[in-house]
Amino acid sequence: MLAQGALDAGCRFFAGYPITPASEIYEVMMRELPARNGLALSAPDEISSLCYCVGASLRGLKAMTATSGPGWALMIETVQYALMTETPVVIALVQRLGPSTGGATQGAQGDVWLAEFSTSGGYTLPVFSPSSAAECYELIQHAFNWSERLRTPVVLLSDKEVGMTTEAADDEALAKPPQIERTPVRAKAAFAAYAFNTPEEVPEFAAVGGDVKVTVTGSAHDQQGRLRKNAPEVIEVLLHLQRKIEAHAEEMALVRSDLDPNARHLLISYGVTARASRQAVRILKSKGFPISFLQIQTLFPIPRQWLDWGTAGVETVFVAEENLTGQYRAALAPCLEGKQVFGINKIGSLISPSEIVRAVRGVTA
Amino acid sequence: MAEHPYLSPDAQLPYCRGCGHALVVRHLSRALERLQLPPRSLVLTTDIGCVGLADSLFPYLHTVHTTHGRSTAFATGMALAESVLESEGLKPVVLIGDGGAMIGLLHLVHAAQLNVDITVLVHNNFLFGMTGGQHSALTPLNWVTATTPEGNWTPALDLLALLRAAHASFLARQFATDKDLDTVIADAIAFPGFSLVEVLELCTAYGTRWNRPTGTSLQDIVTRQGYRLGQMEAERERPPFRELYRRELESAPRRSPEATMPRLATRAQLAEELHLVVAGTAGERVQSAAALFCRAALAAGLYTTQKNDNPVTQGTGFSLAEICLSSQTIEYTGMESPDVVLVVSQDGWKELQSNGTLARCRAATLLLLDSELAVSPPAGRVLRLPLRQEATPKGAALAALAAWLSSACILPSEAWDAVLASLAPDRRAQAAETLRIGHQLGERGGAPAR
Repeated sequence: MLAQGALDAGCRFFAGYPITPASEIYEVMMRELPARNGLALSAPDEISSLCYCVGASLRGLKAMTATSGPGWALMIETVQYALMTETPVVIALVQRLGPSTGGATQGAQGDVWLAEFSTSGGYTLPVFSPSSAAECYELIQHAFNWSERLRTPVVLLSDKEVGMTTEAADDEALAKPPQIERTPVRAKAAFAAYAFNTPEEVPEFAAVGGDVKVTVTGSAHDQQGRLRKNAPEVIEVLLHLQRKIEAHAEEMALVRSDLDPNARHLLISYGVTARASRQAVRILKSKGFPISFLQIQTLFPIPRQWLDWGTAGVETVFVAEENLTGQYRAALAPCLEGKQVFGINKIGSLISPSEIVRAVRGVTA
Repeated sequence: MAEHPYLSPDAQLPYCRGCGHALVVRHLSRALERLQLPPRSLVLTTDIGCVGLADSLFPYLHTVHTTHGRSTAFATGMALAESVLESEGLKPVVLIGDGGAMIGLLHLVHAAQLNVDITVLVHNNFLFGMTGGQHSALTPLNWVTATTPEGNWTPALDLLALLRAAHASFLARQFATDKDLDTVIADAIAFPGFSLVEVLELCTAYGTRWNRPTGTSLQDIVTRQGYRLGQMEAERERPPFRELYRRELESAPRRSPEATMPRLATRAQLAEELHLVVAGTAGERVQSAAALFCRAALAAGLYTTQKNDNPVTQGTGFSLAEICLSSQTIEYTGMESPDVVLVVSQDGWKELQSNGTLARCRAATLLLLDSELAVSPPAGRVLRLPLRQEATPKGAALAALAAWLSSACILPSEAWDAVLASLAPDRRAQAAETLRIGHQLGERGGAPAR
């Protein structure tokens, strides 16, 4: 479904390297892309995979690769290059149990930090997290759209349990957001590869190989793409890379909410654990327990507005995620000040609805 | 076209006095003049190091300044995209040093294998210049560098010999001082596939300072290393990537679209979610039987999820599938306690013991086991059927599902018909027979209704 969504989002280039649990995406793209006037290719490693994608994107094609934690570790250099050169590219990161090669066929939500906090300078990478096949289909399209619109790398953070579980989805109910393309260059004569008037603005795009001269660089540069040291414009460009993301944070926010104005407790979850969480909330509510629920689909930038709404009037907040230390809970901490915050965490297998119910009741008894 | 569309004649070259890089960019510019290529049809893709300073010297070309060693990979990506765009408009020319060639060796090897239409100019000055003259994989034996002050003791890599083994189609090795370097570079750029020219030169900041070369030093290095100069024998007749890919697409068999499965008028109804586990041996069609069952359930309007598990080796040991069935959307796809457990081999049984599934069975759990299994089940109602014997080991899992369904009455019989109709004829006949055997076994064995 993820691959299908990518195709429907207009993806025309895929380079991949086998890794469980992401190999199925690679296989589908190898099978389907050629028939859609695209190109899918086996790369000799994950570094090459992402470099090929970035090269293809510079030439003007929508491009994607898919990997898991160990492959992502190799891609981080090139993710930063894409961020710095404002090159759209989408990476599907299908998590498995880590660290290192970990458990190839075991699920986990342990790569939240690894995905988000992987750039020198701590820039915000947009990260979307689906909990089902249907959400994979929908969110990968949003990932492409935001990547193109903001000219930045975007991560679709899935996991083994979502990626390798076969499940039924209603065709009619599948979301098909309209395709968004990168803004092409208008005033060709005055073109600068990284031009903006205000820091939030996204530069117009000209493909390498077109009739407008393009200067691309991963080094600190001015709006023309010239290497400059100690120039104020270089710092402005660096600020712009973050500001263009932050300025669209609320617009990017995707959340499935079940908010009760009388709730005294809030459960937050994402990815596969959101499914058990929703079921747990149903059980708790059926017994009159005053709880609200937020399934966060846009993990980063953090959907602050939604967190404000969700935490209003609430005393305790629970964050359920399948990792050891509560990675997203830690990232949310500044938004949860003044609340009692509890993590519901586990590794090695899915967190079940009854475990969530027990944890919530244990704290609130 | 501008009067000087390539290297501008009054360009201030940023290199040290006497550096070979200056010769390479001048020869590159002359090569482009010779070819009269439109500037916008070229993309100079530069690596990290002093070679990366060339971008601004060519104001009319597209330039992409990349990360260390990856210049070849980014150039390959652009060339690959070019072959889908079907406009033979863009030629990447990669400028890379000896350090970059080694850290990005894999990219050079793969570009050669693919025979993508790029040209790589390796500026081999035998060390890392920009960072202080450290030893590289291409440093000659006994050569003094910042990190081999007593002389290098590891033999230098013969890049061209290595790429020859990777089926490179155009390879040459020249001195930066060669008068005909521009001709060789022009030939490389005009070549419609992977081409690489290794240019031997000296770093005046470090190489000459520490090694006190004479007029014949470069030639001595070549002789000592056993290097060959000039164009090397290479696979020049190999078709370029664009051609290889087009041929591959044309020869690929056309796939017929998958038969669609109609939704049945008769809808199955489940009062509550049902959890099944099917366990057996890898290679005995356990997971594919579960998939057929899920498709039947889907045809009958149920929601299903299926999670498979097997050892990383895929073809040995256990194989199992966990299935959830529901009339509503399924949230939690795990299984707190199974309702039905079908086990058709010892491998399957052992895995269910070790992963805790058997311990989670309740008194109401139905265990349908192959008769040959010498096991003592925990809690649950047990039914033993000769599945492997009657339906063969490869049909046992599907027969077990059919046997259970014969009394559980969860799916209308049309659901299986719909699945069978969607299968290829040979597989259809086999599956139909297995289902018939399973159904009979179920009726005979009197599986307890749920």
